[in-house]
Formats: sequence, C-alpha cells, structure tokens
Amino acid sequence: MRVLRYVYLIAMQKRTIFAVAAVMVALMLICGCTGTTTDPAPVEKQQLRIATTTSLYDTKLLDHLTPIFEEEYNAEVLIVSAGTGKAIEYGQRGDVDVLMVHDRAREDAFLADGYGVNRRVFAYNYFVLVGPESDPAGIAGMQPEAAFTAIRETGMAGNASVIFVSRGDASGTHSKEQAIWKAAGFNYSTEVKGSGDWYQEAGTGMGATLEMANEKEAYTLSDIGTYLAYKGDLDLVTLVDEGDILLNVYCAMQINPAKYPDINSTVAKDWVNFMISDDVQKEVASFGVDQYGQPLFYAAQDDWEKIGVTEAEVKDPIA
Amino acid sequence: MYEIIEGFLEAFRLIITFDSDVMAIAARSIVISLTATIIASLLAVPLGAAINFGTFPGRKSLINLIQTLYSLPTVVVGLLIFLLISRVGPFGFLRLLFTPTAMVIAQTILILPIMTGLTISALSGVDPVIRDTLRSLGATRLQFLVNILKEARFAILAAVAVGFGRAISEVGAAILVGGNIAASSFASSTRVLTTAISLETSMGNISQSIALGIVLLIIALGVNLVITTVQHR
Amino acid sequence: MIELDNVSKNFGDTTVLAGVTGEVNRGEIFAVIGPSGAGKSTLLRLIDLLDTPTGGSIHVNGLDIHAEREKSLTIRRMMGMVFQKPAVFNTTVTENVAVGLRFRGAGRSETRKMVEDALGMVGLAGYGDRKARTLSGGEMQRVALARAMVIEPEVLLMDEPTANLDPVSVEMIEDLVIRINRDLGTTIVFSTHDMYQGQRLAHRIGVLMDGAFAQVGTPREVFTHPASRKVARFVGIENIVEGIVVGGENGSTVVDAGGVRVRAAALNGPGERVALCIRSEDIRIAPAIRGRRVFDGNILPGTVTSIVPRGPFSRVTVDCGFALSSILSWKVVDDLGIQEGSPVVVSFTAESVHTVRQG
Repeated sequence: MRVLRYVYLIAMQKRTIFAVAAVMVALMLICGCTGTTTDPAPVEKQQLRIATTTSLYDTKLLDHLTPIFEEEYNAEVLIVSAGTGKAIEYGQRGDVDVLMVHDRAREDAFLADGYGVNRRVFAYNYFVLVGPESDPAGIAGMQPEAAFTAIRETGMAGNASVIFVSRGDASGTHSKEQAIWKAAGFNYSTEVKGSGDWYQEAGTGMGATLEMANEKEAYTLSDIGTYLAYKGDLDLVTLVDEGDILLNVYCAMQINPAKYPDINSTVAKDWVNFMISDDVQKEVASFGVDQYGQPLFYAAQDDWEKIGVTEAEVKDPIA
Repeated sequence: MYEIIEGFLEAFRLIITFDSDVMAIAARSIVISLTATIIASLLAVPLGAAINFGTFPGRKSLINLIQTLYSLPTVVVGLLIFLLISRVGPFGFLRLLFTPTAMVIAQTILILPIMTGLTISALSGVDPVIRDTLRSLGATRLQFLVNILKEARFAILAAVAVGFGRAISEVGAAILVGGNIAASSFASSTRVLTTAISLETSMGNISQSIALGIVLLIIALGVNLVITTVQHR
Repeated sequence: MIELDNVSKNFGDTTVLAGVTGEVNRGEIFAVIGPSGAGKSTLLRLIDLLDTPTGGSIHVNGLDIHAEREKSLTIRRMMGMVFQKPAVFNTTVTENVAVGLRFRGAGRSETRKMVEDALGMVGLAGYGDRKARTLSGGEMQRVALARAMVIEPEVLLMDEPTANLDPVSVEMIEDLVIRINRDLGTTIVFSTHDMYQGQRLAHRIGVLMDGAFAQVGTPREVFTHPASRKVARFVGIENIVEGIVVGGENGSTVVDAGGVRVRAAALNGPGERVALCIRSEDIRIAPAIRGRRVFDGNILPGTVTSIVPRGPFSRVTVDCGFALSSILSWKVVDDLGIQEGSPVVVSFTAESVHTVRQG
C-alpha cells in the first residue's frame, strides 16, 4: 500500500506528468511518421484521387493494388470511399480524378452527361441473397426474381419471421435490389417500400446492414466481398447466388478533363490502364483466395460477353 | 461478450507493441487537432479580449451569438466547408478538399466559437479591482491586455483544453472534408482516430476500433489531466 | 496641487457627485470623509483618471487632467492608488510590486533594488518570493501600498484602504501613511468612513455629503465647528438642539432652546433659527446642590434620564428642558453617585456651544 502511495505522489508531480505525456506524444509521432513513409523520392510525386464505393473499398482489393501502382508510376494514390451516390457526386464535382463504381445505369448517365470518359471494366462478381438457415420464406435455390416475390408474399401475409433488410441508401447494392424488384414486376415505391413491417431500411453500409440482418434473422442482398469478410461473425447463409440479374460489374473511368482541366488526367489514364493490364487482372482473379477460400472477384478480361460489355471496354488501353 | 473481451485483448496488444498503423493515425490526429487548436487560440484570445473590453453597439448580442454557436453541429460545418472548397466551389482552385489542411480549417472553425466564448468568460471573471489597479499603475492598452490575460491564464488554458478535446473528438466534418484517406505517405493521409474508428467498425474490425478508441480516450483525457494539474499547482 | 472645480458625475440617472469644489495642497495629507455611498470612491477614481467627470474640472499642477486624452497616461503615472479591496495579482510578491516599474520599462537590476526597498519600507522584507494571494488581508494591502509607492508618485490616492482590515493592520497602514508623507513628501489623499481615522492622520479634511463638500478644513475646525447640522451629526456631535436667537452682546449670543436659555460664543443675529452643537466631552455633570457656583457659562438643572456604558466611559443623558448627554468615566459616575432619576446640574462654557444656522 505504501509503495502505491509513493508511486501516486510521484505520478502526481507536475513534472512527471509532463514528462510522461511528452514521451508518449514523441513516441507516437516517431512511430507514426516513420511507420508509413515510403522511400522519400526527391521528385514531386503525382497525386491520384480516386472515389469509390464502400463495398469495393472494404474488400481491400484496392489497398492490395495501390502499392504496386505507386511503385511503378511514382505516384501517390488517395482513395476516398463513400456510398455509390456520394462517390458519383465527387466525380461530378471534379473533386477526384478517377471514379470506380458498380452501377451500370448510373455510370451510363454519368458518361452521357459528359462527366466521365474512357470507362473500362476490370472485374465482376455476383450479389448474393442471404438469410437465416431456417429460410422461413423457402427461397433457397430460387431465381432472384422469384425469391424476392416469395419473400414479399410471405411477409405481406403476416409471417412475422420473414423480414427483408434493405440498404436503403443511394448505394450500388440498393440500386441492384431495386432492379430486382422491378424485374419481379413490382413498383418499388408503392408496392415494396414502406409496405409493411417485413421490409426494413437500414440506411447504412453493407457491413452494418449484414449485422442488422443477422440480429433480426432476416434476408438481405449483399455483394459477395462484404459477405465473405463478415461470414465468420454471421449466422446467415447464402440462399440464392445464381441469376443474371445478380451480376455485379465493376468499372473504372476517368473524370472528363474537358470538364475539369486541372485534373491529373495522365496518371488517371495510367490507373485505368493499370486495372485492365494482364498482371493486374491476374491479381484480381486470385484476390481473397488465401483468406476466404474463394476469390472475391472474377477478372473481366476474357468474360466481356458473359457480363454484357464490349470487348473494347475490357481490353483496349486508353490511348 | 466473448467478442468484446477478444477485442480488448487484441487492442491492448496493438497499443503496447506500438502498432505502426494505430500510431500513425494517432499521430495524425494529434498533429491536425493541435494545429487547429493553436490557430484557433491565436484567433480566439485576441478576439475574446477585444469583445470583452470593447464598447460597441450590439456587444451583448454578439456574446449571445457566440454562445449559441457552441452547439454548432459539426457535420454542418463540414458540409459548409466541403461546398466551399470542392472543385466546383468558390475556393476550389485551392485544391484543398481531401487534404489535412482542409481538416485543420474545419476544426479551427468548429472550435473558434467555444474558445472565444470561454476566453470572454475568463476575462470578465477577472476582478474589476484588478482592472482598476492595472490602469492606475499606468498600463498602456497593450500592457493592460497582456496582464489581464496573465491573470486569467488558468481559465484561458482550460478553454484551450476544451478546444483541443472538441477538435480531436470530432468526426462529422473530418470525414466530409478529409475523406478518411489512407495514403502511403503520412502527410497526404487524412485518416484520424475518429474517422478510422468509424471505418473499422463498419468493416467489422472490432479490435482495431477498440484500440483506436482507447488511444483517443487516453489522448483526450490525458490533455485534460495535464491542464488540470498545471492549474492546481 | 489638486484643484477640484465643481466636479460632478452621473451614472445614468443617478447623480453621485454634484459640484465638488476644493483644493489639496502639495505635501499634505487630505482625508475625504463621509457616509457610505457619498461618492468618495468615485471622486478618487476621477482624480486617478479611471473615470471621467460629467461636469466640472480637475486640475493637477495647473493642468486640466481630463482635457487631453494623450496626456492621461503621463498624468496617471505620477499618481499611485490603493483600493479598498486588497488587489494583488496571481503571482509572487516581488512580481506584484514590480508591475508598475515594468510598465515604465525599468531595467531588471534597477527594478529588483527598488522593489526590495519598497518591501522594506512597508515591513515586508523577505516576502518577495511568496505567492501574493497566500498573504493575509493586511499584508496584501501593504503589498498594494509598496506597489503604488515603488513608482515614486507625487500623489498617493487611497480609497478606504483599511476598511477591510484587522486593527493591527490598520495601525500599520496608518503608520506608513504618516511616514510616507513625512519622509518622502508625498501628497496623500485618502477616503474613509471612519472619522477618527481622518482626524488622526489628515492635515485637512473634506466632508463629502450629498455629492459635494459640506465642509473643508482642519480636523479641529471640522470637529468643533461643523458647518452644518449634517456635518455635525457625522462628526459625532451628539448634542444638537434647535433654538432661536433672542439676544446677544459682544461675541456671545443667547439662544432660546425650548424655553431654556443657553449662552453661546457665536455671532448670530436676533431671530435667527440655529442649531446648537455641543460635544459630550464639553458637558460636565454635578449633583444638584444648593449654592451658587462662580462659573461664567451655562448652568442648567436637570434630571438624569439614562446612563449607558460606552467602552471605558458612560454616556449620561440629562433632561434639562432638552436632552444633553455627556461622556464621563465610570469612576466619575461612581464618585458623583448619580443614577437614573438623580437631580443634577449640567454646566458648559459658552465657547463650547457652536451654532449652526438653520437653513
């Protein structure tokens, strides 16, 4: 006890506290500053700003690829991740040099409005419909449209154990979900949204949505990457994973330098070409195997027909 | 429950081994918030003195306004600055969006009202007799201000601590104007403790979040502890 | 040295000073006495340039101190002020005393020496490194005094400097006031509500009442020849009786006070309404005995109405047509063998009766 008292007295000395605090801060600054600096290149590095979606970013594919790019092109890659809607907005405002999203419809509009140029597709995978193992709506193995219909029917009929959790934000996943509802023949805003307790909107990212679905033992639509990342902590299983409509195509495109002249269009072009280069396509195809036992993505290089895009979009480097 | 315990254990490991990611983020938080606090102090203290000792119409309303701004929602400030420094905005040519500089600006604006208000309180709390004494001793305007500030130094120091605490704990504006970027160089990244916690939690990395949370707590509480000790000597 | 010319000061709708006129001579100690709230502090603050008068002017060494703003700093720097509340800065004693010197840009070693001397003068030698806020009230006030004196002012202003202090400290400060004036020739103006303090220390007294000087004069003049009834009350004359002048000869007047004739050494015309002021100390009481006494003054028979202790004395009040009270020591009261109801004879000289014209 006495020792403790002495320790307390010494600790409470103003000088001691200052010293400890100073040492801690110094340590942090030293570790922090040296820990992440790469070789200081005397030449001014070019900076590349990329806006992407959380679901793509959270798979850590980009973090895996950026060091390779930075080394080869002597550049610094700054990635901002947000929901698809937000990422597109950054692109429209010219705050970034490259946009990487996975929403064909909105990408088309973006290109048509002249905000983006030179879209290239570099990867694809599938959305999955996950839910509780008990599968109260009985959708296992169905086609996506039929599964959605079944969920809605049972939910509207009053089966309290049937719940669907939606992203409910402006994300690519949410757009996909809405597309499936439409394909199944429903008017989203009148017949699905707010139509009953069975349909709940999370309004958050994919990870949080999955956790919510897990808590409620509910169904939800997820990209494969996030689902695999969270699988260990979830009791949800994959119930529907086949169907063309579940296709999830990732692209990278430059922000139009004609609209925003001071964009780093050179390094942006380099990045997009990088993504469709042979070596990177190999990386993409094998990414995640070690960790999850299956790859998170498929390389787009040879499957342009399957995913419904032109060969030029997956093969031709930007001039 | 198991997840929480596991998380804490991993968190302690990260901290004790001075895990470089965690330390880098912590260091960046300190640097950005400290810079913002210093700039805000240099603005708030003279401003507070000027308002406290000035006589001009609407002085009381101004002080009320400042105190109302204490509860300025941080995300609103962030949005405002985002709109201003985005490339399509009036200050877009400065290319400040998604830089640490933008975060410093945001935090400075955020803590300016509360630091100014607390400075005004500190100065008005100085006994009027002290004011008279200084003037009767023949102080020039500058000497007067310097000495009043010296008298109120502990209260002003507390204001600085409050400002720093607020700056480093802020997440709304930091994400909006900073973008939570983890770049390869220290100076280009904008990921700080608060934004990192947000990200790691949404990605499900609980132990990382807890570690960052503990570090943030240590820093925030540590600063206050130091200030309080200095005041009580 | 200091001339007050019809000085007035309003705060919003309240008039605190209304036409204060007076003079303070170089090298004297001038006391401003008056009841609380009379404006003593305000007056001193106006002199120290801490506030500006609403009307009138103040001249120091012939210069109108409020006329030119640029000069105000120079003028303020030749005056020092000590306030009622001991105000010390939150630092060491030495730092406190040195503040004024620092403002004037004095050198470090010069400052140190002067501070040491100043502390020595007020009896706080060796206190230099102590934290000023840990001192007692009396010690703090002495620090304030040292701080004001170290800058070698020509005028020292003190606003009720001993009002909040214990008797020992009061004595110390009063001692210092006298010494500073005697040894350094500093002109001192201090305010107090304790008239006895004014009497003890000052060369001249100004009685501030209702926002103006009701009287300015030496302590003796003020205490024995108050200019008005109010002043008389304030300076502690307990016996004030109203009457009408009914007659008079060379240098003396006869006043009819409620039927009793009183002779006063004054010059008032017949028919004048006056108030008679007689100090208790000037009234003698003797048991009523037959037989004339050779006494060229006032002799009035009366009855003791009360005997009230007052410190080591007793205040004996007698009704002789009007109430008169005298201060007698207990021994004298015992020797006289008087008590409530005793018939006594009250005597006092005509000279001890001071008349004040009724307004």
